[in-house]
Amino acid sequence: MEILTEAVKMFAGGREILHGIDFELRDKEFVGLVGPNGSGKSTFLKCLYRVQRPTSGKVYFNGQDLDELSYRETALQLAVVAQYNVCSFDFSVLEIVLMGRSPYKNVLERDNASDIHIAKQALATVGLEHLAERRFQTLSGGEQQRVILARALTQQPECLVLDEPTNHLDIKYQLQVMDIVKRLELTVVAAIHDLNIAAMYCDRLIVLYEGAVVRMGTPAEVLTEDFIREIYGVQSTVSTCSDGQIHIRYKAGMQL
Amino acid sequence: MTTRRKFLLPFLCLLLLISVPAAAAFGSVKISLLEVGRIICSPLNLNTEAVNLVHSDIIWLLRLPRIILAACIGGGLSVCGVVMQALVRNPLADPYILGISSGASLGATLAILLGAGSVFGAYSTGMAAAAGAFAAALGVLLLANTGGRAGSVKLLLAGMAMSALCSAFVSFVVYCAHDKDGIQTVTYWLMGSLANARWQSLAVICPLFMAGSIFFTLQSRILNLMLVGDETAITLGTDLQRYRKLYLIIVAVIVGFAVYAAGIIGFVGLVIPHIFRTLIGTEHKMLIIAATLGGAVFLIWADVLCRIILPGAELPIGVLVSLIGAPCFIYLMLRRNYDFGGN
Repeated sequence: MEILTEAVKMFAGGREILHGIDFELRDKEFVGLVGPNGSGKSTFLKCLYRVQRPTSGKVYFNGQDLDELSYRETALQLAVVAQYNVCSFDFSVLEIVLMGRSPYKNVLERDNASDIHIAKQALATVGLEHLAERRFQTLSGGEQQRVILARALTQQPECLVLDEPTNHLDIKYQLQVMDIVKRLELTVVAAIHDLNIAAMYCDRLIVLYEGAVVRMGTPAEVLTEDFIREIYGVQSTVSTCSDGQIHIRYKAGMQL
Repeated sequence: MTTRRKFLLPFLCLLLLISVPAAAAFGSVKISLLEVGRIICSPLNLNTEAVNLVHSDIIWLLRLPRIILAACIGGGLSVCGVVMQALVRNPLADPYILGISSGASLGATLAILLGAGSVFGAYSTGMAAAAGAFAAALGVLLLANTGGRAGSVKLLLAGMAMSALCSAFVSFVVYCAHDKDGIQTVTYWLMGSLANARWQSLAVICPLFMAGSIFFTLQSRILNLMLVGDETAITLGTDLQRYRKLYLIIVAVIVGFAVYAAGIIGFVGLVIPHIFRTLIGTEHKMLIIAATLGGAVFLIWADVLCRIILPGAELPIGVLVSLIGAPCFIYLMLRRNYDFGGN
C-alpha cells in the first residue's frame, strides 16, 4: 500500500503546527518518523489515520483521496497502534481483539467463528494466545500494548501506523513489539523516539522539526553526529558496528 | 465467567417468569399463591372452579399492571443506565445524568404549581415531566454539538449546565409559588411511585421498552466501541457521533415515558448495570439482556417491599430503591476485584 501526502498543513491554537508536509510511503516500506517532542509527528500521523483533518493539503491512500473514503474503508487498509490505550471499562482480551473486525461488519452482524479464528491467530502472532480470557486491565503495560497490536492485526490491514507505541514499555517489550511488526512485512510508518531503535528497524527515516520535514533518507544518511546536535541539541558519537548496525552513544552534561 | 454467562440469562428469564405471579400474592389483602395462579389462568377457562371476583379484580386491575409496570421501568432504566455509561464513557453515569431528571422536575413543578399542561387532566404532571425530560435531553444535544464535535466530556458538561439551569428554574418557581401543598406534591411525586399503573399506558410502555432493549442489544458492537473512545473507534472504521445522538434521543424517549408513568426512580439505572458488569463483564450484547431482566426482577421485588414494609401505608419506591441500592453499591465498591472500570 502507498500513502502520499501533498502540502499537509495543520493549524491549531492559532499557530501552524504542520507547515505543508510532503510525504511518501512506498509499498512494504518501514518508515520511521523521528524528531524532538512537539515537532508534529503525532499530529501528522493523526492526519493519516483521520483522527484529525488537515487544515489544508491532501492525503492519498493508493492514489485515492482520503476525503472521498469512508472511515470504514480506511480502517480496512490501515490499522493504528497508538501511544495510549486507556479503556476505563473492563473487557476481556479476546473482546478487545475482536473489535478489530468492526470494519468488516455491519452494525447488526455478529462475530462468527472465522472472526474468532482471525482474532486468536493475531493473539498467537503477538504471543498472547494464553491470555485470551483474561481481563484487559489486569495485564501489564507490555502485554496491553501487544493486545492492541493484535487488534490492529485482526483488521488485516495493508499498512500499520505506530504512533509512539513503545514509549512507556521497558526495553524488552520495545524490541519485542518492533520485532513482531518487522516480521509481518506490512507497510509501516512509525513515530519513534529512540534513535537507536529507529536505526535498527527502519528502511528510511523522515525527520520532522518544528512542523516541517528537514531531512529524509536511510538511517545511516540521516543519523550523523552533526545532525543530532542540530536537531536535539545533544552531543553524541555515532558508530557503525561490524554487522552494519548504527549505534548512537549520547554524552552526558554536554547539551548545548 | 464463561459458565456464569451461559447460565445467567436462562436463570434470569426463569426468575422473571416466577416473579410476576409470585409478586402478585403480596399486598394488604391476603391472596394465596395458588389462588393467584387460578386467577391468572382463569381467562383460559382451564378449570371450572369459580374464582373470588373481588380477588380477581385486585389481581387483574391493581397488582398485575403494577408488577408489569415495575418490570418495564426496572428493565428500561437499567438498559438506559448501561447505554448512558457507554455514551458518556463514564461509569458514574445513570439514565438521568444528562439533565434529564432536572428537566423532568421542572416539568412536574410547572404542572403542579402553575398548572402547565392541564389539558391532559389527570395525566398533566406525568406529561409535563416527560416533556421536560425530553426537552432537556434535546437541549443537551444541541449545546454539546454547537461549536465542534460532541465528545463524551462535552456531553457531560452540557448535561451539568442543563441540570443547573433547570434546577434554578425549579427553585425560582417554588420560591414564587408560596404553595405549601403544591411543593409537597412535587417532592412526593419526585420520589417516584408505581401506584398509577394502568393497562392503557402499559399498552404503550411495554412494547416501547421491549423494543428499546432489543434495539440496544443489536447495537452492542457500537456500544463496545464507545467505551474505547472516539479516536480508537475512528481507526476501527466507526464515527460515533451520529450514534451518540440517536442513542441519546432513544434514551430520552424511554426515560421520558418512565418518568411519566412513575416519577423519578433513582439508583436502579446506576446499580443494576454495575452488578451485571461484575457478573458477566462489559461486553454489551449479554450485558443489555441481563440488565433488562435483572432490572425488571429487582424493581418488581422492590415494589413488593414498598407495599408490605409499612403496615397500612406505602413507602415511596425511590426511597426504598436507594435504601437497598446504596449498600449494594458500597459493597461493590469495597470489593477488590471490581474498580468500576475507573483507574
